[in-house]
Amino acid sequence: MTQQADRERADALAAFDILDTDAERAFDDIVYIAAQTCDVPIALVSVLDRQRQWFKARVGLGVSETPIEQSVCKLEIDEPGLLQIPDLTKDARTAENPLVTGPRAFRFYAGAPLVTRSGIVIGRLCVIDTKPRPSGLARAQRDLLEALARQVSDQLELRRIARSSGMMIALKEALAEVVEVVRRSSSIAAMTRGAAEVVGRVLNVERAGFGLVDEATETIDVEPDWTAPGTASIAGRHRFQDYGDIRDELAGGEPLVIDDVETDPRTSSNVAPMRNVGIRALVNMPVREHGETVAVFIVNAAGPRRWAPEELAFLRNVADRIEAGVSRLRLREQQETINGEINHRLKNMLSMVQAIATQTLRGVADREPIETFEQRLVALSSAHDILMQKSWIEADLKTVAEATFKPFGFSDRLVLDGPHVALGARAALSTALLFHELMTNACKYGALSGPAGQVLLAWTVVPEGDKECVIVSWQEEGGPRVVQPTRKGFGSRLIRMGLVGTGGVGLRNEEPGLQAEMRASLAHLAKA
Amino acid sequence: MNDTPMTAAPQADRSIILVVEDEPLLRMFATDMVEDAGFQVVEAANATEAVTILEARTDIRIVFTDIDMPHGIDGMRLAACIRDRWPPIDIIIVSGKPFPPQAQLPERAVFYPKPYRQSEIIAAMVKMGAVQPDEG
Repeated sequence: MTQQADRERADALAAFDILDTDAERAFDDIVYIAAQTCDVPIALVSVLDRQRQWFKARVGLGVSETPIEQSVCKLEIDEPGLLQIPDLTKDARTAENPLVTGPRAFRFYAGAPLVTRSGIVIGRLCVIDTKPRPSGLARAQRDLLEALARQVSDQLELRRIARSSGMMIALKEALAEVVEVVRRSSSIAAMTRGAAEVVGRVLNVERAGFGLVDEATETIDVEPDWTAPGTASIAGRHRFQDYGDIRDELAGGEPLVIDDVETDPRTSSNVAPMRNVGIRALVNMPVREHGETVAVFIVNAAGPRRWAPEELAFLRNVADRIEAGVSRLRLREQQETINGEINHRLKNMLSMVQAIATQTLRGVADREPIETFEQRLVALSSAHDILMQKSWIEADLKTVAEATFKPFGFSDRLVLDGPHVALGARAALSTALLFHELMTNACKYGALSGPAGQVLLAWTVVPEGDKECVIVSWQEEGGPRVVQPTRKGFGSRLIRMGLVGTGGVGLRNEEPGLQAEMRASLAHLAKA
Repeated sequence: MNDTPMTAAPQADRSIILVVEDEPLLRMFATDMVEDAGFQVVEAANATEAVTILEARTDIRIVFTDIDMPHGIDGMRLAACIRDRWPPIDIIIVSGKPFPPQAQLPERAVFYPKPYRQSEIIAAMVKMGAVQPDEG
């Protein structure tokens, strides 16, 4: 019973985080008033730790703590109300107490309990005299001592609330930072390490990390983690059972919270594995999916530590966010693999088409049409490469142009100029073919066929009614004298089909060279 | 890489091009391309065959290989093996996949995506110093 009460008292005391803190004016004032009111030389705010009583405030006494065995405050601590002992030398419970028999010569004691909101007594506000006081405190003094004790309790609560809200703010900010890290990370390792760093710093621990758990919850693969300077990483695979009796909670979806591995029954029988990796206190926060633990967020401290409920709630949030982020990246990786495979097959198919066409036309003496065909095929293929990078959803106009022109060389005589314009899959392919024909034409007959001509490919986005329109202009200059083409080949027909295959092309073949203007609506380009 | 001495001028007994491609139609296509350009050609359907051929003869000047071959080692490892065991041989690698971002080409190896322009491949072979005995 007493042991249970002692444990509750220790827990309550820990929640206040008051032990071994500096003196504070509010408590000092209270002991001063108590001493004056009761007309005694000594007054103390005494809190009862397991092995000692510690004084948050004191007047008339030179020590800040005594062993718990010498504590008068501890007597009848579970009885509600004021404890008064008129003559300590005559009371069997205190007659042999060194504080009474020794030089301090305590004679009279009165202490009012410090009661928390949940009703747990964590210590006393007491007054002590070196002369016995047979009649005890006067009624008014007793009332005042009890009132002051309530003031001490309230101060402790307020202090706790202020501290907790400070922590809440810090944790809230850290969570926002974690969300940001998860959002902008493009690899699992960067995500887990970045988020772990935020957590490690805000909780002021030695190590933080995230790991995926196997189906049977027997092993964990810890992703790259964050560690304080001088602490080693634990990235890699670990078996839960190697570290103690810690698996069951996690498998059941409960967080594993250990304040001190040396005293916790789950780990105390074999502390070495924890000690070897510098763990004295830890939290393993599971992430659940379909009723199974799929991942764990890990926090390790090198010293014993009580984990606050706010911290655990924060860690649960962090673990969930990271798990969602990791799943998202995994899906994307899978999608990229599939896209790569589709593209690979497509490229092989185009290669086969090339091989069949070449074999079929082997007997044809004029090699030029075959070469032209091959070039168009390669232009189509490179447009697919660009589309694949964005899962065949869109391609940037400039990127398509650069890839199409690359095999031709002439980078010093070709200027590309314009803003980002997104092309849908069909528009990207038809634009690539269009650019390819313009370029082929320029190399054969136009500005690039001579030694000095130049080409400017420029595009702008302009409003047209309530829509936006893209105007692409191809301007050649400095080539040989322009000759009107005599027949309409496939190439010039491709050019006239325009950016999305529906026309919108103006061609002027005059000095200083071919001028082509191609128009399409921005929305149409992106959707086509 | 720049410190290696220039390779000796191609010798007449090292003028043959080895084409490594698992897909028969594409192998036929590549072989014809190389032959039409006037080079002598030897074919292999996979890397293992290629190594066997290289071990058996000393007249291979250039290896032209696909990367993705389902059986045995792939073209990248074949290229690394050739660079290690037959340093004088030049290497042309082609693939339908984008060039692996982390991978490094061995010295004196070039990469072309598939489908490739035949003229580019032939130009590369000529630049590598392959002899065209039919024309020479």
